[in-house]
Amino acid sequence: MPYKKIIQAIMVATLAAPAAFAAEVSILNVSYDPTRELYQDFNKAFAAQWKNKSGDELKLKQSHGGSGKQARGVIDGLAADVVTLALAYDIDEIANRGLIAKDWQKRLPHNSAPYTSTIVLLVRKGNPKGIKDWNDLARPGISVITPNPKTSGGARWNHLAAWGYALRQPGATEKTAQEFLSKIYKNVPVLDSGARGATTTFVERGIGDVLLAWENEALLAIKELGPDKFEIIAPSVSILAEPPVAVVDKVVDRRGTRKIAEAYLQYLYSDEGQEIAAKNYYRPVNEKLAKKYATQYPKLKLFTVEEAAGGWAKAQKTHFADGGLFDQIYLPGK
Amino acid sequence: MTYKNQTYRALLLPLFIGSLSATSVPALANDQTEIERLKNLIEELDQRVKVLDRKREIASEEASAKQKSAPVLVAGENGFGFKSADGQFEYKLRGLLQLDYRNFDGDAFPAAINGFTARRIRPTFEGTVFGKYGFRFTPEFGENKAAVVDAYLDARFDTAAQLRFGKFKPAVGLERLQGGGDIKFIERSYVSNNILPNRDLGLSLSGEVLNKKLNYAFGVFNGVSDGGENTTTQYVNSEKEFTGRVFTNPFNDSDNFLRGLGFGVGGTFGNSTGTTAASNLPSYKTPGQANTFFNYASSVFANGQRTRLSLQAHFYNGPVGVIAEYADVSQHVKVGSNTATLKNDAWQVAASWLLTGEDASFRGVKPYSPFGAHGGLGAWELVARYQENNIDKDAFTNFVDTGKANASAAKTWGLGLNWYLNQSSKFALNFEQTSFSGGTGSKKLDGKTENFAVARYQLAF
Repeated sequence: MPYKKIIQAIMVATLAAPAAFAAEVSILNVSYDPTRELYQDFNKAFAAQWKNKSGDELKLKQSHGGSGKQARGVIDGLAADVVTLALAYDIDEIANRGLIAKDWQKRLPHNSAPYTSTIVLLVRKGNPKGIKDWNDLARPGISVITPNPKTSGGARWNHLAAWGYALRQPGATEKTAQEFLSKIYKNVPVLDSGARGATTTFVERGIGDVLLAWENEALLAIKELGPDKFEIIAPSVSILAEPPVAVVDKVVDRRGTRKIAEAYLQYLYSDEGQEIAAKNYYRPVNEKLAKKYATQYPKLKLFTVEEAAGGWAKAQKTHFADGGLFDQIYLPGK
Repeated sequence: MTYKNQTYRALLLPLFIGSLSATSVPALANDQTEIERLKNLIEELDQRVKVLDRKREIASEEASAKQKSAPVLVAGENGFGFKSADGQFEYKLRGLLQLDYRNFDGDAFPAAINGFTARRIRPTFEGTVFGKYGFRFTPEFGENKAAVVDAYLDARFDTAAQLRFGKFKPAVGLERLQGGGDIKFIERSYVSNNILPNRDLGLSLSGEVLNKKLNYAFGVFNGVSDGGENTTTQYVNSEKEFTGRVFTNPFNDSDNFLRGLGFGVGGTFGNSTGTTAASNLPSYKTPGQANTFFNYASSVFANGQRTRLSLQAHFYNGPVGVIAEYADVSQHVKVGSNTATLKNDAWQVAASWLLTGEDASFRGVKPYSPFGAHGGLGAWELVARYQENNIDKDAFTNFVDTGKANASAAKTWGLGLNWYLNQSSKFALNFEQTSFSGGTGSKKLDGKTENFAVARYQLAF
């Protein structure tokens, strides 16, 4: 009967219609330097999950660089739908320009930090220079690799980790801590703009005796280049690094991508997202998965940025602003 | 003796060996220290070299990143200017300078003046903002003028849809769309100068579709007399003129012989109403643009519908190019109680041949070997044209100005030689002979001739 064929055609058309109208949407994640591998894995998983849920093809674009530099790029007009940066201060800078709501940090759990990390010391296999703790970095003849705190979020964590260590020494004052950092920076021969660049300098170019590295970056270097080349020295104490994430409100409202951007960041907190973070050596905030992967991380005593320097706003002003402590003490090379 | 010798050897040998060892131990120890020192020095030097290499690498990366965002200065055959690294913002200064020597001969216009003239002195300021919005401003200072030739804004939403607003060439005729620096003859033909509009104030929508095989343009303008251009002031009445053009290059993506073929049709439609003080009617000039062979009488004025039609085509193959165009205009006119609809027309066929082998095109010529560079001769081009301009015979009953030179037809053949020194500079020589027929009264040009010879130096960038 002809009407049956008509109904069949309508049914097929109805089923095919969503596919026919499936749209391709793109969002841009502006991130800090060492997260390339993490977001490569994460983006694949999120895009697949989004396609299953909505039928839409998703194009996920990435930009990586020093956290401070990336924040300035977004302020200058780089149309990021989301930012996943190294420290809250960099996102606050974007918020202060009106691109992100001021209460951004409350919108997601754990102060919008879906994973944490810390700073460790990566040395050459056999630790030929006998580096055991932060104080060894100040020894004459030790070459220390760390990026530029003016551009790199990781570098600012490194700096504050050393600062926090120095303040915990017996009889320490801010003056002694400043002298300590001065000795460390005197041992820094070259400053890269980001953490990944510093890893390249140490690992691939063979420069330096010790790399102050994100824990995840150090573990990745060992995994990719073999445990016969490098080893991690867990210092006596280090800083709890909480790289946060946020939706860039002005951009997503203009582009109509708020729903996807919010889902993208929320997926970081899902079991799959947390598993991907852990497999890339970030410390998941999910307690169950944190326990599951606990053995892969060095055992460390951690202090917060509030404990080390009174919070990011104060740290930025005291240490990293123009004329701050870093500007006063950095001496390039030997 | 033998026993004693053997004993002495047995005693002396260890002593000898012992004394040698005693002096070697500190020497070897010194060597070891020296080796260690040298090893450390080499390691230190190796690190220093690596540090220097890495610093250079970082500096190069930073310079490269800076270059990506740095504005770019442009200076070349297409003008001077600057643009942002991402190309979204651009500002250009271009120019067209044409200096002529014009000579008139023949019995049609014995009082014609020969001499030098600066035909076009046109700086052009053009640019783009936010990638899609453009502007162009071209004043004219040639021939003792101070006028605005082009002043318009573009919104380029897509290659298929672009809005233009301001004073510009309405897209109707083919030859008119060729830039003043690209035309093959020194002056355009009757089709462009005497029938179709030059420039007008209005708004148009245009684009390229079907894989750039089809161009379209539709517009609404204040309306302008044949070959004329409006100023930038508001028009004196509310009548508007609608324009349209479609042009196709059906083989532009193929390799066959017809690749360079293009053809189309354009036209205008509207009302044009004048008064005895401001007639809104044209006069028709000869190719040299100095002499007029048809004028309407002073009391004649435009009185209603004006319609134009243009049929147009071009063909390019290797060094040879041909352009052909026909246009007519139909205009209601009135003088006293007499009215008429007069239909005037013009057509041309022009051919060009690049003797030095460059490819002919609608746009300018880029010499293979610019003059002066490594013995280059530039590009040499021969051009030839035949054109006619015919006036409606009904114009000669009540409407023509019989007190001035007049003819009902002007037929012109012309030859020319263009020498392109490079993409920006050109010398040109033209000769055109015009024969007139018809006309009325004592000033009729029937049977007379105008010879027009002109030399031009052009600089265009």
